[in-house]
Amino acid sequence: MLGFIIQRFLQAVVVMAVMSVIVFCGVYAIGNPIDIVIPPEATQEIREAAIRRLGLDLPLYKQYFIFMGNLLQGDLGRSFVYNVPVLELIGGRLPATLELVLISVISATVLGVSLGVYAGYRPESWISKTIMGVSVLGFSVPSFWVGLILILFFAVNLGWLPAGGRGETVEIWGVAWSFPTLDGLSHIVLPAVNLALFKLAMMIRLARAGTREIMLTDTIKFARAAGISEGTILRRHLLKLISIPILTVFGLELGSTLAFAVVTETIFSWPGVGKLIIDSIGVLDRPVMVAYLILVAFLFVTINFVIDLVFALIDPRVRQGATS
Amino acid sequence: MMKYTKFLAPLAVTIGLTAAAAASAQTLTMGVRGGPESMDPHFSALGSHAEAAKHIFDTLVWSGTDLQIEPGLATSWKPVDEDTWEFKLREGVKFHDGSDFDAEDVKFSIERIPVVTGPTTTTIYVRRVAGVDIIDPHTIHIHTDGQAATLPNDFIRLFIVSSEAAADYSTPETAAEGFNSGKAAIGTGPYKYVSWEPKGDLVLERNDDYWRGKGAWEKVIRKEIPNDSSRLAALKAGQVDVINYVSSVDYLALERDSSVDAIKGDSVYVMNLQLDQREKTPLVRAKDGSELAENPLRDLKVRQAIDHAIDRETMVDIVLEGLGKPANQMMPPGFFGSSEDIPMPEYNPAKAKELLAEAGYADGFEVDLYCTSDRLPGDGAICQGLGQMLTQVGIDTNVNAVSKTVYFPAQSRLEYSMFMNGWGTLTGEASYTLGGLAHSNNPEVKLGAFNRIAYKNDDVDRLLQTGATMMDEDERRATYEEAMEKVMADKAYISLVQLQTVWGAKAGSVEFTPRFDEDTLAFFIKPAN
Amino acid sequence: MKTASTPLGRFWAEFRENKVAVVALVVVILMMLLALFAAFVSPQNPYDMANLSLMDSRRPPGFVGSGGYTHLLGTDPQGRDLLSAIFYGLRISIQIGLAAGIVSLSLGTTLGILAAYIGGRVETLIMRAVDLQLSFPAILLALVIVAMLGQGKAQLIGALVAAQYAYFARTAYGAAKAERGKDYIEAALATPMSGRLVVLRHLLPNCTPPLIVVATVQIANSISLEATLSFLGLGLPVTEPSLGMLISNGFPYMMSGRYWISFYPGVALIILIVAINLVGDQIRDQFNPRLRK
Repeated sequence: MLGFIIQRFLQAVVVMAVMSVIVFCGVYAIGNPIDIVIPPEATQEIREAAIRRLGLDLPLYKQYFIFMGNLLQGDLGRSFVYNVPVLELIGGRLPATLELVLISVISATVLGVSLGVYAGYRPESWISKTIMGVSVLGFSVPSFWVGLILILFFAVNLGWLPAGGRGETVEIWGVAWSFPTLDGLSHIVLPAVNLALFKLAMMIRLARAGTREIMLTDTIKFARAAGISEGTILRRHLLKLISIPILTVFGLELGSTLAFAVVTETIFSWPGVGKLIIDSIGVLDRPVMVAYLILVAFLFVTINFVIDLVFALIDPRVRQGATS
Repeated sequence: MMKYTKFLAPLAVTIGLTAAAAASAQTLTMGVRGGPESMDPHFSALGSHAEAAKHIFDTLVWSGTDLQIEPGLATSWKPVDEDTWEFKLREGVKFHDGSDFDAEDVKFSIERIPVVTGPTTTTIYVRRVAGVDIIDPHTIHIHTDGQAATLPNDFIRLFIVSSEAAADYSTPETAAEGFNSGKAAIGTGPYKYVSWEPKGDLVLERNDDYWRGKGAWEKVIRKEIPNDSSRLAALKAGQVDVINYVSSVDYLALERDSSVDAIKGDSVYVMNLQLDQREKTPLVRAKDGSELAENPLRDLKVRQAIDHAIDRETMVDIVLEGLGKPANQMMPPGFFGSSEDIPMPEYNPAKAKELLAEAGYADGFEVDLYCTSDRLPGDGAICQGLGQMLTQVGIDTNVNAVSKTVYFPAQSRLEYSMFMNGWGTLTGEASYTLGGLAHSNNPEVKLGAFNRIAYKNDDVDRLLQTGATMMDEDERRATYEEAMEKVMADKAYISLVQLQTVWGAKAGSVEFTPRFDEDTLAFFIKPAN
Repeated sequence: MKTASTPLGRFWAEFRENKVAVVALVVVILMMLLALFAAFVSPQNPYDMANLSLMDSRRPPGFVGSGGYTHLLGTDPQGRDLLSAIFYGLRISIQIGLAAGIVSLSLGTTLGILAAYIGGRVETLIMRAVDLQLSFPAILLALVIVAMLGQGKAQLIGALVAAQYAYFARTAYGAAKAERGKDYIEAALATPMSGRLVVLRHLLPNCTPPLIVVATVQIANSISLEATLSFLGLGLPVTEPSLGMLISNGFPYMMSGRYWISFYPGVALIILIVAINLVGDQIRDQFNPRLRK
């Protein structure tokens, strides 16, 4: 087991190293930020001074080593635009994104699994068919369009909810959160629904497929034959069996929702990390782009590593397969 | 909102929520499109940066509502010889930490700029400064590299920081931390710094000892809301009291909305169409794709035809939905050096076709038009409209409205033949605009740096060179007016529209006069009645 | 029912049973035709500047413009007939979706089968990379790549391919790997038959059904992803409006009540994507033996 963990850990380290090179080279190959950060009215001397200041006159590999050297000391560089450490910039906006993502993914999972199990349990009922129809919509309709429609109906036409921005915040442990205030909650509803819709559809489909397959297995047939009540079957067998794939997807989705929040945050002007990265792409603020991508890559590698470990714990075959 | 609040009310009680507190009359909350990039006023020359800095810091020279220059921390100034200006400093002014303002702070601020400036460089404010001499605590001599008639204009965004408070925070590494933490963000301005987060809120409290008098608001919150729709929504929802830059898209609807006041002001930005004057130009061709014998844009008749093809009224009424004015020169009327004798060009497509035929282009030609699409309100739409108008007189126009991040680098590499962007006369006078755009590009005399169309008129060059050294104001004004008339008659630069800006405010809540530089300054916003 | 004897005929007979899928298929075909013949069915050529008038801009549905005909869905800020703009936009969206889908299909399938066929180091390398990429959200990859490559059709297609080829590679690999292990392949490889022939005659055909399923879904995804990128301002230039771009252009007008500029292009986009997905769903169900009764 220990050998397996070490092997997977080393793999994760190698992946991170490769990712850092790809991300760094990729981002630093983009355009020439200098023409964007300096004003169009700047003279040649000003331009050259700015290039030196930002370290853009060094060859790419030198810039990479400087970057990696700093990274290993926990320093991801300074924003070209704000001249503050990038981590500070991202850290300041992370709570807003986390808040939105957690609320979305949790509500999508709870609701999605319930609906999905029902749809799988009674596949022929009209309710199930409606649920599945809705899930097709949630799956295929582009999220940004749903966002627009939510704004059009609930903010513009009905005027029930704000169209964008983050509401009033409260400080808890030195971090500003908006969900504990009424104003904050009213701001979070539309973006959260927008972000949750795709995950909801996915959870419904997953839970339904799982349920349908399990209901056809011999275990359930025998249980039924043995006269065990349907409720017990649902609770004891079904939920237990489908919970593993659902938890896996939950973990994976947490990461991908974090990334997908880019779209939702842009539509609803939500002041999170996703909005920051879109803005940074617009002005080619390279350190922010690199730091964000490295952090996301780190997140994904970590999630995958943890999932691998959990699977290894549950299923010994994985362990053997990997070491042999 | 009603239904929703009802639905959530029990929830609010159970988790003990704090309801959104109604903004008290003593607090002004402003929703602004752009914020500062740092609390260090010397970090960036961006308009929104300077706008935020003006709340905390003062400048030697103040630029008023119409960009006329007025005393600020300096009470008077005069040239003492060819290359020296003397500034008399205001006495009895105190920094927010109680220390006195004097000549030492001015010298410190000027010398600090080249060290701490960011990429959007603030060195443009001190580009003519060769040295600073302190004569006494309230008199200072500024030496310039040669005659600098417009030095006081350069100083309108030269912010004065405290030489004591900022002493330890004047290197590129320490400046942001020192100022953002508030330790060095000590100015003489109407408001004191409380807190700021990049892209977030800037919170300020009143400086009761301000030398201009006490401001009307005890507390000012400046919220950065870049999205036009969200900013407007925040105003309508009562989250902010005032917003800047209402987009032309929302302007008409806002006019009809009785709960909101729309305050319209002129902007310094004029949209100019620019026509490449080089003998070979890359993006103009015959309609069948073959090369033309010469660049048609060098022919005055062609340029006049283009001018006559443009319907400025429609552009203002339809494209900008009323938020602009037809323009006949590169600066707003009334600015130092703009001429009242320039006629408004006539929209006359028949005449345009006639002129094209006379120039030997009866069948027209084809051109690629480039514009910014995301820099100023309506730029992309104006571009599309321009394309339609030119195509209708026979100049087949391929419209390319591109991001400013693509446009400006390509423009400075001289890759375009016909292009349009806005130019803001931020200093309020012509040497800045004509000197940059209309003089032939000549680094030796530091003129024509933004002339990207190889425009050269010897008369104009001569006028601009003499104008730059004239110390007599009336003579200088006449010189620049003459230069402006000549440039506009040549039609290599064709001015289209002057933009206007709209502020939104809760109906009947505040009073203020729109400023030409579009700044939204809390000190000059007063509560109504 | 004589067609029912061929595999394709049997497939179609089963497909026909699902009425919703049939309707969806008809819609997809119809939209393809509209895109293909946009120039003939549109009341106006929305790109011909000489035909447009600014006086007609932002008019509501039903407005009779200076061209003399009724703008059924209204006009956009440049005075373009929205219905025509949608037809032309449909064309750009479908073009990009198909192009990205076909390139990713070819690239992904090649990589997947190669990995399964060659095995060893190559297999590990390719599949590790593919798995890694699959764990990364496609939208983020596309976003970064578009930012790197810049605006334009080819760049956009490149970004979509980079974001999507991995799905094809994984699918092809899975199917080919399962087949590779079977005795008859081993037997075929033992004969003088060339390796290439084995791949073409046995591995590839066995990968086809799942690849078709992935392809339908991915084409819909490319279209949707393109629209999203364009909406974020990172897709095509404003002057080449796909459906996503049309929606994006109209977005600012939503707050002031001129919803149609952005709403109708959106409806067209949704109908297209939902229809493709419904067809894809039905095909998948038919290929999935476990769901067979």
